Amino acid sequence: MTDNASLAPALEARGLTKHFTFRHGLLSRRGRVHAVDDVSLVLAAGTVTAIVGESGSGKSVLARMLARIVMPSAGELYLMGEKVVLGQKGRRQYASEVQLVLQDPFASMNPVHRVRHSLVRPLRIHHTAGPDLEESVKDLLRRVALSPPERFIDKYPHELSGGQLQRVSFARALAVHPHVLLADEPVSMLDVSIRLGVLNLIGDLRDKERLAILYITHDIASARYLADSICVMYAGEIIERAAASTLTDSPAHPYTELLLSAAPDPARGQPTPLPTRGAPPRLVAPPPGCRFHPRCPYVMEICKTTPPPPVTVDAGHEASCWLRLPAGERRPEASSQASLPMVRGGPGLHARKEVASRNEP
Amino acid sequence: MTGVWDDDVVEAADVRASSAPAGITETQDGPGMPAALETVPETAPETALETVPEPVPGGPALAVSSRGRDKGAVVTPSERPGEALLPAPSEDDAVFEICDLSIDYGLGPGALHAVRHADLMLRRGRVLGLAGESGSGKSTLVYGATRLLRQPGVVSGGSVRLYSRRRGEEGRVVDLLAASERELRRIRWSEISVVLQSALNALNPVSTIESEFDDVLKAHRREMSRKTRRERAAELLTMVGINADRLRDHPHELSGGQRQRVMIALALALEPQVVIMDEPTTALDVVTQREIIEELIGLRDRLGFAMLFITHDLSLLIELADEIAVMYAGRIVERAGASTLYRSPRHPYTHGLLNSFPPMHGETRRMTGIPGSPPDLAAVPAGCAFRPRCLYAMERCGTEAPALVPLDGEEHEAACFLHSGDVAVPGELAR
Amino acid sequence: MSAITETTARQEGPLPETPETPALAREDTARRHRALVLPRSPKVILGVVIVGIFVILMVVGPWVAPYSPSSTQFAASLHPSAAHWLGTTVLGQDIFSQLLVGARATLIVGFVAGLIATVLSTVIGVTAGYIGGPTDDGLSLVSNVFLAIPGLPLLIVVESYLPAHDQSNSFIIGAVIALTGWAWGARVLRALTMSLRNRDFVEAARIIGERRARIIFSEVVPNLLAVLASSFLFTMLYCIGAYVALAYIGVTSTAVWNWGTMLYWAQANNAALANQWWWFVPPGICIALVGMGLALLNFGIDEFINPRLRAAGLTRKVVRRSRLSNRPRLGLTPVLGRPA
Repeated sequence: MTDNASLAPALEARGLTKHFTFRHGLLSRRGRVHAVDDVSLVLAAGTVTAIVGESGSGKSVLARMLARIVMPSAGELYLMGEKVVLGQKGRRQYASEVQLVLQDPFASMNPVHRVRHSLVRPLRIHHTAGPDLEESVKDLLRRVALSPPERFIDKYPHELSGGQLQRVSFARALAVHPHVLLADEPVSMLDVSIRLGVLNLIGDLRDKERLAILYITHDIASARYLADSICVMYAGEIIERAAASTLTDSPAHPYTELLLSAAPDPARGQPTPLPTRGAPPRLVAPPPGCRFHPRCPYVMEICKTTPPPPVTVDAGHEASCWLRLPAGERRPEASSQASLPMVRGGPGLHARKEVASRNEP
Repeated sequence: MTGVWDDDVVEAADVRASSAPAGITETQDGPGMPAALETVPETAPETALETVPEPVPGGPALAVSSRGRDKGAVVTPSERPGEALLPAPSEDDAVFEICDLSIDYGLGPGALHAVRHADLMLRRGRVLGLAGESGSGKSTLVYGATRLLRQPGVVSGGSVRLYSRRRGEEGRVVDLLAASERELRRIRWSEISVVLQSALNALNPVSTIESEFDDVLKAHRREMSRKTRRERAAELLTMVGINADRLRDHPHELSGGQRQRVMIALALALEPQVVIMDEPTTALDVVTQREIIEELIGLRDRLGFAMLFITHDLSLLIELADEIAVMYAGRIVERAGASTLYRSPRHPYTHGLLNSFPPMHGETRRMTGIPGSPPDLAAVPAGCAFRPRCLYAMERCGTEAPALVPLDGEEHEAACFLHSGDVAVPGELAR
Repeated sequence: MSAITETTARQEGPLPETPETPALAREDTARRHRALVLPRSPKVILGVVIVGIFVILMVVGPWVAPYSPSSTQFAASLHPSAAHWLGTTVLGQDIFSQLLVGARATLIVGFVAGLIATVLSTVIGVTAGYIGGPTDDGLSLVSNVFLAIPGLPLLIVVESYLPAHDQSNSFIIGAVIALTGWAWGARVLRALTMSLRNRDFVEAARIIGERRARIIFSEVVPNLLAVLASSFLFTMLYCIGAYVALAYIGVTSTAVWNWGTMLYWAQANNAALANQWWWFVPPGICIALVGMGLALLNFGIDEFINPRLRAAGLTRKVVRRSRLSNRPRLGLTPVLGRPA
């Protein structure tokens, strides 16, 4: 499952940032929503990386930036090690490498078109069909375990179930022969009993087709089940990343702890009371210092003023939290130093954090 | 099918004690469960491990089942305060009873049978969870029972009764299916209140939170003065963890979680005896969901209402509910105490559903969920509706629909022919 | 591959599976499913019949007219009789013949104008709504200007500048009328497109690299068909009204017979003062009937769009037979065997 090949990662993001500007009130005061701030991420072939976060954490915007549906305010993308020139130009070429599967299978299929249309279009656009177009469409359906394909090819979306539709969505994404597959909450709209089928499909795409997959979810248990490594996002930032089971078994960031205690888990006898209360900050004016500090049960003085650096807790496990630095090293200037001696390794986790831009006002 | 609830109410403690040996006899586990015994010691005391003949490699399921046995053998105030600390359920505790309820969409031969022969009973101070996937009829069931179901929904049979426990009207029974519109209006909100999934749509965007409370109190508590109404609204809001100064806010100024809290406060404004929650936390984030559920349990303990909690998230219900009913294709297929259901599901659907939630601990192993997809209500297969997806389907399942019957003398019912005694029960359904 | 094959295809019936059907997408897909179901409601059938009769009149009217509409061979101001079903004008023309002949021009101009206006409003509205930004600002400005200009005066001015032979050309007149009739539809379609633009299936088309024009015409417009049809009917109604009004005030060529010119001559000859009701009432009734027919047809489209209007499965007959209250009330689900 793990892949330690020293190839260039299929897709790498460095310092991706998205600020939405909006006009506020009659006086046209401009506001800025810090949807995603300085996120770096590496997606390696044959791995599933999960992003876990609540709504408003910026995880969907991040996926759309990676798919180049949303233009980043700052940051760079590297596809197979090559820098991507952002802009409208080359979008189509990029789309043939990086595909995004959306959350709602009912909404992401046009109700007026048959399944055939949804699959023929990407084949035509990217010239990926074999000699026989019909056969290529059927192959796609078989790849996502919709067989016999004849049963599905002429159906309208409303004639299929949610699970089947989500498979068609995956088939549509696979039609272009991508190397990177981004899945934005692909199972959250599906019935519980068919979720595992789709999760297993994603796992198979990783194992058999060696795709680099980003799995975005709010369900930390499914991330643990499917992913090799997990990144936790809070208020537009990645605050912790580690190998999947490491993260759920020994979380290093208080927010991850909070998420874990909130997730339903029948195996524990009684739900642990939540360590803290409150809501994520408004992204128009995120709190100074650590964005989690207003809710953090362990908040210290430094948390209120200086954003914590990503601290390497263990090999392949880093958390952006002052608690993880020895007391003597909790100095503001540490936020630009601590990331330097970072250990890289672990499945699918080749994280690089450009911390310099973090200190800008 | 009817009358099961009335006749077979047994003291829960007895049930647990007597059922313990039955749980131990089966030790064989499903294939491919890797060892994860390190999770056992911290949760299961020594006594529990002793009852297991030999420590077979068992996954998280084993760890839990041994803990469950422990609880069954020694009835002590256990981890589930809702189950052990509250008085054991008895017939007197019943506040809301649904018997043999059937609900159709449409009339005549083209009608869809959305709910068939459902029995449910809500008891004072207890949480009943109703789990099911989309189209299972779980929402239809409660909307039909409270007669809030819209056209073309029609109640086609059964009875729904509310047993009033209010001081001064003890023993008063209201038949909801025979009640007049006026009587229903009186009961709703003051006796039975419903919280919907989408609080955003339920609150009027142009009125303040205060006026929402004011409207309710004015309509049902005529004697209250304006000042008392305001005080009561502030009190209710504080009760659900929102600062009283938010009363003057409009719904859009509140977060999703706060709006849902306001809905809960509104539902509790008249101190109803029955609170029905239809996926109240589905649209919310996990942390907010957990906060609200903690809040709800606290309120239930303080106010003692009966709660019917509808959700598709069975893993959440197991932590929250005292008792769980599982619906599939319009029928209740299994009903049991929450930990019993988790520990030893008897219906293949429940078992599959429980196996659809990846665990938070232990080795990750490949899980398969349930094959196929939920049936369409317009074309429910003959016999058992779960048959096409069932691993253990028999010939009989294709012709007869199994009824919900009590098992092993327990407060545990399942609608499955595997437990009729004619065939050997598969190991995973006999734990 | 142990990924699960889902064997049973699920048909989404027209009924909501839960009391609150959240998935809007399912509703409009269900609508398509019924596309071939013939309208059942008496309103729609009446609309179809009325519009059908007038369409037949439009085709055969000039051939079946008993006399030439312009011929002045009869006695003046005859009351309706067996020979002249609707009497004659002060000039001795047969009014029934004028009515039959006039149907063609009236309806053709209305149809052409409605068609052109709908196409215009689709192109402008959908483009503005989908592309947004400065394009939207510009196109919205244009449509707002056309909405704000009073239509009839503009028409009178434009019409009076037309060369005489164009004033009798149905297509040119239709095009001119369409000029004042498209703006409303464009605004509606713009708003709808803006909501469709952010729907997931449009985003999915962008993700696979589909070009913009293709997204608009292949993904967005097919979803607007029901609204387009409805908009076409109402625009056509407006255009018929505008054409009749123009003819009535005498701006169009009086050589072409339509219901507006009939009213023009009736007015010019003081038919109302002379109490010659058979001259001006029949064209008025015809205009009203066409309007009614189109509006009724529109109900049919509404029933396709809005499933609530269908009251699926509960036809009046079935309800009566089961002795339920046939007036559905919110918050009072009927119970079989216990009449409310």
